[in-house]
Amino acid sequence: MNRRDFLQRVSTGAAALTVSPAMLLGGGLGKAGAPSDQVRIGMIGPGSRGRGLLRRYLRIPNVQIVAFADVYEPSIKAARALTGVETPAYTDYRRLLDRPDIDAVHIATPLSLHAEHVTAALASGRHVYGEKSLGHTVEHCIQIRDAVRQARGQFQIGLQYHYAPWMHETIRRIRAGEIGDVTHIHAYWHRNGNWRRPVPDPKTDALEHLINWRLYKAWSGGLFAELGSHQIDFANWIFDAAPSSVIASGGIDYYKDGRETYDNVEGIFRYPGGRTLVFSSIMTNQNMGAQTRIYGTKGTIVSTMADATLFYEPKAYNTIESVSSTKEIVERGVVTGATYKSELPYRGQGTAITSPEGEAGNADHQACVAFVETVRTGARPIANIDVAYASGLSVALANKALYDGTRAEFKDYLGGHVPATAGR
Amino acid sequence: MTQSRQAMGTTFTLHLYATDVTRADEVAEAMFEEIARVEEALSHYRATSEIARINREAADGVVTDPETFALIARAQQLSRLSDGAFDITVGPLMKAWGFFRGRGQYPSPEELAAARARTGWRHVTLDAATRGVRTDHPGLDLDLGGIGKGYALDRAAALLREAGVTAALLDAGSSSFYAIGAPPDTDGWPIRVPDSVSSPQGGRDRGQDEGRTLTTVHLRDASLSTSGTRQQFFIAGGRRYSHIIDPRTGAPVDGMAQVTVLAPNATDSDALTKVAFVLGADAAPDVLGRTTATAALFVRDARDARDRVVRWRWPAVSERATAAVSGDQ
Repeated sequence: MNRRDFLQRVSTGAAALTVSPAMLLGGGLGKAGAPSDQVRIGMIGPGSRGRGLLRRYLRIPNVQIVAFADVYEPSIKAARALTGVETPAYTDYRRLLDRPDIDAVHIATPLSLHAEHVTAALASGRHVYGEKSLGHTVEHCIQIRDAVRQARGQFQIGLQYHYAPWMHETIRRIRAGEIGDVTHIHAYWHRNGNWRRPVPDPKTDALEHLINWRLYKAWSGGLFAELGSHQIDFANWIFDAAPSSVIASGGIDYYKDGRETYDNVEGIFRYPGGRTLVFSSIMTNQNMGAQTRIYGTKGTIVSTMADATLFYEPKAYNTIESVSSTKEIVERGVVTGATYKSELPYRGQGTAITSPEGEAGNADHQACVAFVETVRTGARPIANIDVAYASGLSVALANKALYDGTRAEFKDYLGGHVPATAGR
Repeated sequence: MTQSRQAMGTTFTLHLYATDVTRADEVAEAMFEEIARVEEALSHYRATSEIARINREAADGVVTDPETFALIARAQQLSRLSDGAFDITVGPLMKAWGFFRGRGQYPSPEELAAARARTGWRHVTLDAATRGVRTDHPGLDLDLGGIGKGYALDRAAALLREAGVTAALLDAGSSSFYAIGAPPDTDGWPIRVPDSVSSPQGGRDRGQDEGRTLTTVHLRDASLSTSGTRQQFFIAGGRRYSHIIDPRTGAPVDGMAQVTVLAPNATDSDALTKVAFVLGADAAPDVLGRTTATAALFVRDARDARDRVVRWRWPAVSERATAAVSGDQ
């Protein structure tokens, strides 16, 4: 809404109650406007992740946080501390959905609850932002996908790196052929820590499961879901395909503290066209941190959660520095022996990948801004259900392979076609 | 238990009394995560931070979350109270004097004028109703570096209290502390305030970092912050310049060596050391009296000054005076 429209609306009294002097004098702070421009959001599950996103919404003009739903009272309290007001809250998420004054629902509950919460929110006619991964199992993923197909509202998945400028620039460079044919992606999410959150006293099993739900199979998809889903999604995006099969390995080998999800996992995803993603996540060493190494025949891109760097493949990789002159060789002869190639790792400087906009915006912030825009316009999100399904299915099948000790095939779940995974 | 982690360009340290080591580890982890979160929001150097976003968009007006808004509002309030002695827009001046590169330079009059034009807390307008931040000058640059470490300590302390911690000392690079309770059977966490002037800059390399003790404070459910120039100064034209700029004049502060401020929270103590340092021992007490500061200790930058050490409401009870205080050198 431009200033003239705004003033016109003010003159009819429609927006009189929300006008601050600053808006009238300065043409508005941000894109401030009338109540009808407000996007009203309810959040199911304002835990640590949910509150992270809540902060983002609070930084967007004309977004109202209308209500929370959570079974854990301290999370409500912490969320209200962020909004600064006594935001209405419910222990039953259905009461939140019953409210008539909600345009969109943000769901940040434990993984195994996504299917129930997302389908119910969609059935209520709202736009939904659902945290990754899509669903706990293949069946849950299918259930949500089908619900999205029938829904009036749009669905956006919390794979926020689809909104990261440096990721888009990375994809653009790859599509332009700058690193040649991408044959392999090695993705690491390495941490050094037990992944536990402190459980307040009195400690009970129920509270332990509530706080540390990531460690229990009934709630969580473990490292593949909570960490790997971003990088698996990234590989899907780069390869523009879902995997065709996955094998996996892992175990509870270091933190034998009663947890059920593995403390280290490795997954090898095969893609159509003979391409491979190797994903590794460990909790005993953080030297690698979180990074995705994209290997092409002409170069490498190393992408992190904040930036990306491009390394060109050395032109004559297998030549070594000449130690003798031609004259010496002619005089003394050349020694014959086994083939020698210098295969030391490349240690040179790369080139930073900066986005054409010149700014590395915050991926979470951009994702929330985009979702609010989707609520306003009804436009299909970049991180849409196809993106969500490909990544969610990959995670669910990787866990199936991990726990069953089998190779999991994708073809039965892709309906004979590979879903489009690319962004804008 | 003591744990340290790098954050906000310094080392954060937690000293904690706990009976359950596993639980203490988890609480410490959660606390460092919270500090990292604050850093991610306030870091002036990260393009993905909230403050970076605000700086990019504030000339057109930007909306921020209640937490960030409240911190900027507090900074602005302290600017108003101190008539600009504390100023989160001072960055361009710091840059002109070369302080971000860790060295000093005397700026040309043109450079100084250009930097001054891009400085001034009055160019920042806040609108509480919309949580709006607007700057009336596109070159303006908000930097919460003078208050952010203290704020991170306050957030960390809140998290520890929430987790049931009753005795802990939080340290942000030795320049700001917050104490929860006291070690068992003591009055508080002992914090030694060194005499910076009696310990010239050479001391650091010889492992004598703190120099002589001026006083020891037993800190309990309160915060202490220190600003000093002992390690950060440069010499130009035979004069020693501090690395603390007086935002009102655009020039480095002259005559002060160190100030220490006690306050109920670290956000305030951190920011108020800058107020105290810039205003100096004569003018600062009047302003500090209108803030949350409970005490201050000033050390002037002159070895022969008669009133080299000036105390304002300094808690005599909890300090252990040394020769440096009573007899001077």
